Amino acid sequence: MREDIVRTNQKSEIRMTKRNALMGAFCLLAATFFCGCDKNRGSSASANSGNVKLTLDWKPEPEFGGFYAANQDGAFSKHGLNVAIAPAGEGADTWQLVATGQTDFATSTADQVLIARKQGADVVAIFAVYQTFPQGIMVHQARGFKSIKDVFGNSGVLLAEDNSWLHFLQNKFPPVQVKIANYSGGISEFLAKKDYSQQCFVTSEPILAKHQGGDPQTFLIADEGFNPYTTVVICSGDFWRAHPEKVKSMAAACREGWRDYLDHPDPVNATMHGLNQDMDLQTFGEAAVAQKPLIETDETKANGLGTMTPQRWKDLADQLVKLGVIDGSVNPGQCFVNPGE
Amino acid sequence: VKKRHSIFASLWPPLVVLVAAIVVMHIWAKVLDKPFLLPTPREVADIAVQRHEDLLASLWTTTKAALIGFFASGVCGIAVGMALAASSLVRRAFYPYTVFFQTVPIVAIAPLLMIWCGPGMGAVSLCAFIVSVFPVIASTLSGLLSTDRALEDLFRLYGASAWARLWKLKLPSALPSIFTGLRVASGLAVIGTVVGEFLVGLFGPGEGLGVRIVAAKKQGHTDEVFAAVLIASLLGLAMFAAINLAAKLLIGHWHVSEQER
Repeated sequence: MREDIVRTNQKSEIRMTKRNALMGAFCLLAATFFCGCDKNRGSSASANSGNVKLTLDWKPEPEFGGFYAANQDGAFSKHGLNVAIAPAGEGADTWQLVATGQTDFATSTADQVLIARKQGADVVAIFAVYQTFPQGIMVHQARGFKSIKDVFGNSGVLLAEDNSWLHFLQNKFPPVQVKIANYSGGISEFLAKKDYSQQCFVTSEPILAKHQGGDPQTFLIADEGFNPYTTVVICSGDFWRAHPEKVKSMAAACREGWRDYLDHPDPVNATMHGLNQDMDLQTFGEAAVAQKPLIETDETKANGLGTMTPQRWKDLADQLVKLGVIDGSVNPGQCFVNPGE
Repeated sequence: VKKRHSIFASLWPPLVVLVAAIVVMHIWAKVLDKPFLLPTPREVADIAVQRHEDLLASLWTTTKAALIGFFASGVCGIAVGMALAASSLVRRAFYPYTVFFQTVPIVAIAPLLMIWCGPGMGAVSLCAFIVSVFPVIASTLSGLLSTDRALEDLFRLYGASAWARLWKLKLPSALPSIFTGLRVASGLAVIGTVVGEFLVGLFGPGEGLGVRIVAAKKQGHTDEVFAAVLIASLLGLAMFAAINLAAKLLIGHWHVSEQER
């Protein structure tokens, strides 16, 4: 009797174990299935309509003014597009969103496009807002520095993100005397400490620092020879090949939007200020003026706003290879298209 | 033989989970086929081996900051807990404000920390302290207030001084609770350190794991990000194990929570 009970219990345990194993296998299969679904998620749910999503790599600020202008003044709709503009948080790797089909278009930087392609992500730049790299180093005027070389050759603290340009500057100005700490946004530390310098968008933080009583002096990184296209509109290679007309329309509408914003920034600044009240209207206006020469250059006057050249992409790729950021496997010619051509 | 058997019995469940997790991660990474989002365990292991010198230097920096933050949390948390337990007036006045440590978003006070301590080890350790001190305060207070009333009466009956009551009765009976707080704090100290390094860490040789994670992410090296995160988790696990060992040595011979079951 007792043995029967034990045997029955053992059988029941074996059945339970088998059932658990089956359940486990089912869960694994389900997980794999959902992963597969994720992989196959289309580059756009709205591929055949004019609805597309543009994800920005920061909040609504003048660096994105032309996109809001294209939306507000009808350039997108004129080209058959209904664009949802979505600002993203700090540190958003927008190329990953593009590569995984979470967004149709996004803004990024040229060096990030090269890094993305090195990682196997098929992303393509289609429009470059800033022809001159707007990133700079902001220092206190009282320190009497003449160039970025002085920042790296003196003591103090430099707040910066670990970007390609930082590697370039560290490489260019050895031995690095300044302590480099991670930059997490804002200008409070800079204002509080006289021996602090920090990275900045020349169209943003220096203006803010001046408004708050600081004595900022700015050096452009582009002047040192590192000049990637910035606020670059990207899409996936798949999207470009599947919807070339839509990509052409996007580039053309961006060009019109930026033309409009460069000529008449005030109405769009008011709209963006409504979406981002952290920046006051006066700063919006000053930044729009400050960024104009970085967007409109001799090159764009000849070939149109947002245009890109193979030579600039090659130069940047060579610099990144030299710095060890990417290897020689990345073909700079595949990183961009000028859709209008 | 019995001891070896008991070690095996305690090790096989987590080992099975570990192997299952590695298999699932491998299948998931292969199906997803986007190494910049999810690398395979093999790729993570390869990069960990390839960059072991840098990663070990980062681990050492992070370990130092986490230990400083954790010990500061332990000492201050127990001291504050004792002060709060000593007087109900002090407790009512200050206890609600200790919750500040639990809720403060480090990112909001990062500039202050940097200005007070300068970037690097000091500010990072302070982050670890802020994030991990509250559980120690709360558990110390709870332990000290849970002393057996009958034993307290007995001590009073025999004329024991307040100091003797604290040292010989309240504190020993609060130890299990204090260790629970220290266990929670050990993990939080590592989290606080890595977050602190994100915000106020220094770049350069021997940069902490948090700085390395940010840098690798910027360069699209997801395999290195995973390797650094894994090492940070192992650090948390090691600190947790050390507290468990200390608890076993200090109170294992008399308290049921630390005895084998």
